[in-house]
Amino acid sequence: MQNTTSPRPLPRSVILFIAFGVLLAVVLSMVPIAFFTWLWDRLNVFATVFLGIFIEAAPYLLLGTLASGLVEVFVDQNQMSKWVSHRPVAAAVGGAFMGMVFPVCECGVVPLTRRLFNKGLPLSAGISFLLAAPVLNPIVVFSTASAFGWGNMLFWRMGISLVISIIVGLVFSIEKDPANILRPVLTLSHDHDHTLKANATLTEKFHHAFLVTADEFFEMGRYLIIGSMLAAGLQTFIPQSALLAIGSGPVLSVLVMLVLAIVLSICSTVDAFVALGFMGTFSFGSVLSFLVFGPMVDIKSVIMYLQVFRRRPVTYLVAIPFMMSLLAGALFNYFQP
Amino acid sequence: MPKRLYRSLQALLLLGMSIFLGAKAASGQLIYYINQRFVPLTIFGIIFLAVLAQTLFAENKRARQQSDDDHDHDHDHAPAAANLWFMLVPLLIGVLIPARPLDSSAFATKGFNTNSPIVSADSSAQLFETDSQERNVLDWIKLFNYQRDISQFLGQKASVIGFVYFDEALNQNQFFVSRFVVTCCAADGFAVAMVGEWDQAATLEKDSWVLVKGTVQSITLNDQVVPLIQAESVQAVPAPEQPYLFP
Repeated sequence: MQNTTSPRPLPRSVILFIAFGVLLAVVLSMVPIAFFTWLWDRLNVFATVFLGIFIEAAPYLLLGTLASGLVEVFVDQNQMSKWVSHRPVAAAVGGAFMGMVFPVCECGVVPLTRRLFNKGLPLSAGISFLLAAPVLNPIVVFSTASAFGWGNMLFWRMGISLVISIIVGLVFSIEKDPANILRPVLTLSHDHDHTLKANATLTEKFHHAFLVTADEFFEMGRYLIIGSMLAAGLQTFIPQSALLAIGSGPVLSVLVMLVLAIVLSICSTVDAFVALGFMGTFSFGSVLSFLVFGPMVDIKSVIMYLQVFRRRPVTYLVAIPFMMSLLAGALFNYFQP
Repeated sequence: MPKRLYRSLQALLLLGMSIFLGAKAASGQLIYYINQRFVPLTIFGIIFLAVLAQTLFAENKRARQQSDDDHDHDHDHAPAAANLWFMLVPLLIGVLIPARPLDSSAFATKGFNTNSPIVSADSSAQLFETDSQERNVLDWIKLFNYQRDISQFLGQKASVIGFVYFDEALNQNQFFVSRFVVTCCAADGFAVAMVGEWDQAATLEKDSWVLVKGTVQSITLNDQVVPLIQAESVQAVPAPEQPYLFP
């Protein structure tokens, strides 16, 4: 009883804590108030840009994970190996053209590709699909056409993306063992407890597909969120004008557009409208490289790639498209000024 | 974490996300973040998130009944709980930081243009036919950028809404009337502005919304010919429901 009523000396940690708190308060009171309004303003810009990217991308990610869930339930492995050739060239070309069927953007394509790998899609086909699908699909064709018209820009965007994705697919076909490329799949095995019976009803099938969709939305959403935060942070603290000011000259302007494609992290289904805004300040070739490279590589997609592929393949996935987009953009700038 | 708890939390988060986006859509604040034309897609998202949450709740109910039947304990491992924490981030940011459309505090990094690089599908030819008082800030900037001969616009009546911004490049009696242009989402937003000239410009407050009426003239700023309104009246107005212009 006495113990509880008699005052005990404060533990050292509490004293330290209080001392630290007082010190912090003193330091903060010396910081001019303008700093806090500045910080609050930055925070507001950050929140608006971050939510902008996230709200814009979330429905597309939902569509992608839904596609993945439906593939899990309705496509079986035997069918897959019947459809897709295992010869490297045919597989890469097939994978790239497969992109025309699935209306997914670069957020949605990652979980879908992983699911397809899981169903036995050959590596080169999957890589080509991964890079081609965000561009070569009906939604993007339509949005590019409505921004630039049915002309040169659309044709070259589709053509060059197709070529790059096939080439990268072929590069990856050199590696015979997918285990060297793909990260071990941890989460896909967890749903073994409710594997569907062969005679499952359609409702059960959709129920199962939705469960897969939800799990993947969380798993991939995590990386979408990290990526959006990075992109929003860069935009909040680094002036875009500094980047645009560098941009002239046939090679440098392409480089600027490529970096911009990475930083802006815009969904491929809508990036044509954004690219349109650069047509006044940048040449055809530079904007074209933005449109080719942006859907393949940006902050959020790279972070999502890292969940599916090992680190070294991801550097290839970034570097090869980067070099080839740079080359394509610079060639256009030289020959079609 | 037990699988069933994980699923319940997932369902709650999905539902929370659906409600959050639904509330934004209902209050009209979605267009602070994205271009109007993508709102239907977000509506789809709101519905589908709710469907997913419902599916997860149903699955939990089913699993509970099943485990009552055969007393089988949860043997499988749920995915990392960190996935859940991350999904909380947009919700927290959205709820804790009050919604505020981009304003002049974003100029520092997002840039600020008196010449619009935008060449949108509605060509400036159409703009000729619109009544000069119907044109917004972006329309005027476009006209001044893409017409060789701007003399035909000088002296026309203009009436534009925008927020006030002051810049060192301007005189004491001048201010910028600016709007943000958002093509896809706030991430690609950039500001356009035309100059207002008014003898009481100094009384205006930065970031306040004004309706400027007057005659259009031109002014040269940084070697660019920029539209200027000689204001007959500058009137404080409430912030428009659509803070951005959608090209």
